[in-house]
Amino acid sequence: MKRGLFVASSLAALGASGCGPIKDNLTNGPFRNVLASAQWYNRMAIDTRGLARLYPDSAIDRNFRVNGLDTPSDDRYKRLERDGFRDYRLVVDGLAERPQHLSLAELRAIGTLSQTTRHDCVEGWSAIGAWNGVRLAAVLALARPKSTARFCIFHCFDRDSSGQPYYESLGLHQAAHPQTLLALDLNGAALDPDHGAPVRLRIPTQLGYKSAKWISRLELASTLSGLYGGSGGYWEDQGYDWYAGI
Amino acid sequence: MTEPGRDVYRHGVAERTTHWLWALALLVLFMSGLQIFNAAPYLDASDKSDPQRRVLAFDAQLVAGQPVGTTTVFGHVLHTTHLFGYTDDGMGGEDERAFPGWITLPGPQDLADGRRWHLLFAWVLVFAFVVYLIAAAARGTLRELVLRPSDLPKLLPMQLYYLRLRPHPPPHGTYNPLQKATYTLVFFVFFPLLILTGLALGPGVDATVPWLTVVFGGRQFARLWHFTLMVLLFGYFGTHLVLVVSTGFWNNMRSMITGWYRLKEGDGVGP
Repeated sequence: MKRGLFVASSLAALGASGCGPIKDNLTNGPFRNVLASAQWYNRMAIDTRGLARLYPDSAIDRNFRVNGLDTPSDDRYKRLERDGFRDYRLVVDGLAERPQHLSLAELRAIGTLSQTTRHDCVEGWSAIGAWNGVRLAAVLALARPKSTARFCIFHCFDRDSSGQPYYESLGLHQAAHPQTLLALDLNGAALDPDHGAPVRLRIPTQLGYKSAKWISRLELASTLSGLYGGSGGYWEDQGYDWYAGI
Repeated sequence: MTEPGRDVYRHGVAERTTHWLWALALLVLFMSGLQIFNAAPYLDASDKSDPQRRVLAFDAQLVAGQPVGTTTVFGHVLHTTHLFGYTDDGMGGEDERAFPGWITLPGPQDLADGRRWHLLFAWVLVFAFVVYLIAAAARGTLRELVLRPSDLPKLLPMQLYYLRLRPHPPPHGTYNPLQKATYTLVFFVFFPLLILTGLALGPGVDATVPWLTVVFGGRQFARLWHFTLMVLLFGYFGTHLVLVVSTGFWNNMRSMITGWYRLKEGDGVGP
């Protein structure tokens, strides 16, 4: 696929050292925290008060671009995929009064909604897809978050070439945005493996890397520190901003 | 009204400080912007990405086993190996990169850090620009800088003077009519539009202020405007440097560092 040579080389540069991107001395020095602080100003200035634009069917990209890490190929995922994800259960646990194990049928029974929105990649490109799924807020409500819960962490099936698992996180107010979906379908068909089957996040008010694919578990937590790199996500641990509204 | 040889206090301390601050900010934004651009080295005149409406694209391909960098402008393919498309990778070699490592920040391909530099210094630019506008308005400099209808008839004579087709510039205040036109364009068109087109790229901004992205023709179009404005501002910067050097480099530098400017033949004083 043409997606590029460019993307491949940038990912290679990011992952080459295994424990993080190659950094130059200027960026890596004491100035690093100052540089990283911009995302908090951005978050204060922008946050997200409105709704992402909805598009007509004519705008849909029928061949929605595939991005992110490689589709999981481990036995656990392959077995689930072979059986049409019949045995898949979305785990919702952590700081929850009522931890959940939801099958795909149970997820759909919560009530689905469709939205045709634009996916904005951090690299700069955009694509439009028709997403159908369940409001994340409705799924979390079933599990009854404890009052100490502040974040929803998304654990995923995929890993990078060095074995590092993909994960993401949102603050609970971002998770409660009415357009933040656990998507089950894309463009009228159940998600295929390359697009994050069976369940992926779709948050149109932030950049694409927040929309984690191949989700296996939602964990309600009071903090993001101590988890993997501690920055709240796979790409965040590699220097991308946790708040991805710009 | 011209008194050659007399020193006048031209730039207040806030104006001088913010001038150098946004000069630094623009340099960082320029270099980190090219770093960000390299992650998706093409520009579409559309909302979502659309190869049918591609205006500019950089690419690299193998031709007879040799890597060739290409630049495609409105469908015309140019070979630009070493310059664009297949260039310095910032690590001592060459790779598929739109803009070379020596002109990007950081040098090696690193979108994450490029974004951090860019988004922080965007704040620095906004801050410096707002402080400048307040200070310049308070001191009255802004009044002298802004182009007025009465300046319009003097634009052509001034250009003729620059082209050495006229012995003397038309009478003018501290800034000549072409300077006023340029500064008005840079301060009230380029800077605001650069900031707004940049903001329009954010999905959070788009959801919060939906008309902004629409005004620019969509997200990819806003990216195209952002890039185009950068090129225009870069052109302004080149002209600015040539004029700073050619109209008395040390006197100009002294005035932007200490505030004091020595009048020379043809200079105007006051508005």
